[in-house]
Amino acid sequence: MIRNLTELYQYRALLIALSMRELKARYRASVLGFLWTFLNPTLNMLVYVLVFGMVLRSSVPNYAYYLFTGLLPWIFFSSSLMGGTSSISDRRDLLTKVRFPAQVLPATVVLTNLINFLLSLPLLLGLGLFFGVLPSWHIVFLVPVLLVQTFFTLALTYFFAALNVAFRDLQHIVTNLIQMAFFLTPVLWDLKSIPAIAGLTKEQTQELVMRVNPMASVVGSWRAIFYEQRVPDWQPLLTVAALSLVVMWISTWVFERRREEFAELV
Amino acid sequence: MNALAPTDAIVVDNVFKSFKKTSKRNEYTTMKSELVRLLKFQRRLLEPGTQIEALKGIDLRIPKGRTVGIIGRNGSGKSTLLKLMTGIYSPTSGTIEVKGRISALLELGAGFHPDFTGRENILINGIILGMSRGELKERMPGIIEFAELGDFIDEPVRTYSSGMFMRLAFAVATHVDPDVLIIDEILSVGDEHFNRKSQAKMNEFRRSGKTIVLVTHDLSTVQSWCDAAVWIDGGKVRMFGDAAQVVSDYRRAVAAAEAEGQKTGHSALDQPGLALPGSEAALQAQEPVGSVSAVRLKDGAGTAPKAFDPHAPLTIEVDWALREKAKVRFGLDLIGADGRLIFSTAQDGGERSGTGTTTLELKRLGLGGGVYELLLSAAGNGEPVKNPFRVALHVAPTEGVGLLRPELRWSL
Repeated sequence: MIRNLTELYQYRALLIALSMRELKARYRASVLGFLWTFLNPTLNMLVYVLVFGMVLRSSVPNYAYYLFTGLLPWIFFSSSLMGGTSSISDRRDLLTKVRFPAQVLPATVVLTNLINFLLSLPLLLGLGLFFGVLPSWHIVFLVPVLLVQTFFTLALTYFFAALNVAFRDLQHIVTNLIQMAFFLTPVLWDLKSIPAIAGLTKEQTQELVMRVNPMASVVGSWRAIFYEQRVPDWQPLLTVAALSLVVMWISTWVFERRREEFAELV
Repeated sequence: MNALAPTDAIVVDNVFKSFKKTSKRNEYTTMKSELVRLLKFQRRLLEPGTQIEALKGIDLRIPKGRTVGIIGRNGSGKSTLLKLMTGIYSPTSGTIEVKGRISALLELGAGFHPDFTGRENILINGIILGMSRGELKERMPGIIEFAELGDFIDEPVRTYSSGMFMRLAFAVATHVDPDVLIIDEILSVGDEHFNRKSQAKMNEFRRSGKTIVLVTHDLSTVQSWCDAAVWIDGGKVRMFGDAAQVVSDYRRAVAAAEAEGQKTGHSALDQPGLALPGSEAALQAQEPVGSVSAVRLKDGAGTAPKAFDPHAPLTIEVDWALREKAKVRFGLDLIGADGRLIFSTAQDGGERSGTGTTTLELKRLGLGGGVYELLLSAAGNGEPVKNPFRVALHVAPTEGVGLLRPELRWSL
């Protein structure tokens, strides 16, 4: 795991160059260009606000802002995973023609989405101001939460990217899993509003969601910083961090074992 | 076993490479089959039937500063060997050691993005090929100048003509400044002018003592460019040595195989073990009356230098054999590195039998520096010459260029 990550650091020039290229290429031919970085999540949010805020009448105050604090990190996570899964299998041009460090490819996708996420943070703060929420000092906790989420995302992306080279079904499975996970994560809804189901009490159900879904903890932490303006609960966050280490260890192991066949199978 | 000696650039030690055969019905391993395998704790089985052995035990030692050509039929494993040297593939067994920075020109323009300008693509492609940002900044003007794109350098690459695209890609790839350069059949990338320029660039590489490994089907390139050649056949090294010698033996074998009515077009991998028949065996089947068994080249002093002095005499000793008593006719063809016939002569030798040695003396060699090929033949009873003995003739370079080196004197 350490070797894989230090190698990634060695190739940072490549990683940065490729990420810049992705960011520039994404909106190059469009008229609005870079504005789409802000427009995409905003439009996305407006759709959800229309459905869940106005039609289904969510009881959460400042629902648009509440939604946005969860939606932005979720987009970072889901786009990384969806783009990253096919990042190796799509780059036959690079892998079979030059000596190329394969782990740079999924990392590029994660880094690109991370930068996109950071760029859209001012938008989040702006929306907060619109609802009269001033940013508080709790914003410093952005750093640890961001680190945990990035590490967790990278670990999962590695894993799927390595396996997708041999089983291309995975990219379709991942797309569907992510959609399911989106509704299992308290992005659109409030964890506190969850009903008691299948013989469990309300608290137990909440506990269950937090346990099975690491992204619930991560999204909860973002909410704590920006929406509730308090110190994020450190316990679930540490659990995710520990889990990320385990996933990363497994991912890099799988990755190292499979990387030799990448050039032959893509 | 074979340690990397300081004079070696690449050492290939007993390398095998096999690929999994992916049949139509089961193109990729499915999730289910993998799960079942995992649940049964089975290791992936390497059944011999589902494997393609592309390389079957390659041993090769490429010395530093040499230009080595790899030749062989389609599917003989040349490109696989290059990809192994580059590190794109890893060997199934055996080891490959490469000393120094390696740059591979397997495909030009890998990673080019059509929407980016030439300048932006140089930056990204350069980093992909292993240059640092600082190196790139330094070499950028040189690359742009070499590519000769003019104002197009700031236009998106998708608007380029294919020639412009190749020029740009070639310019980046050759400015990496590698210790070992690996080239797969891409020396002709543009018009006449750019071809000369890229040839000059390659010569510059050679002069600065870099190791070049190139795969090509252009045999005259190998003869004129390479110090040594490797002939890969059916995943094995058939021959490794002096470029002219290897090329001439390869040509002979291909001609012999064609004479036997064998298709050389199909891959050596299609039918395992099918290599070109040994030229000797094939030729014996045709049973010519006369043949040349050995040729010795000597200069005026009776020694055999590595390269001959154009001003000195050349003595050619030909050992011949006749299967029966026959009228013999000796022949000599002198071939240039581009395959063109420079000089041809023949001499009737009267009625002879058995074996013997005939000597031909050139009073003054008179050739320009370079590699030539001599074809010596001894034909009996007017039979056509089918199997001339081929020998390489290295002529030491002198002042002036070209095939001819006349005796000259300036009056000033």
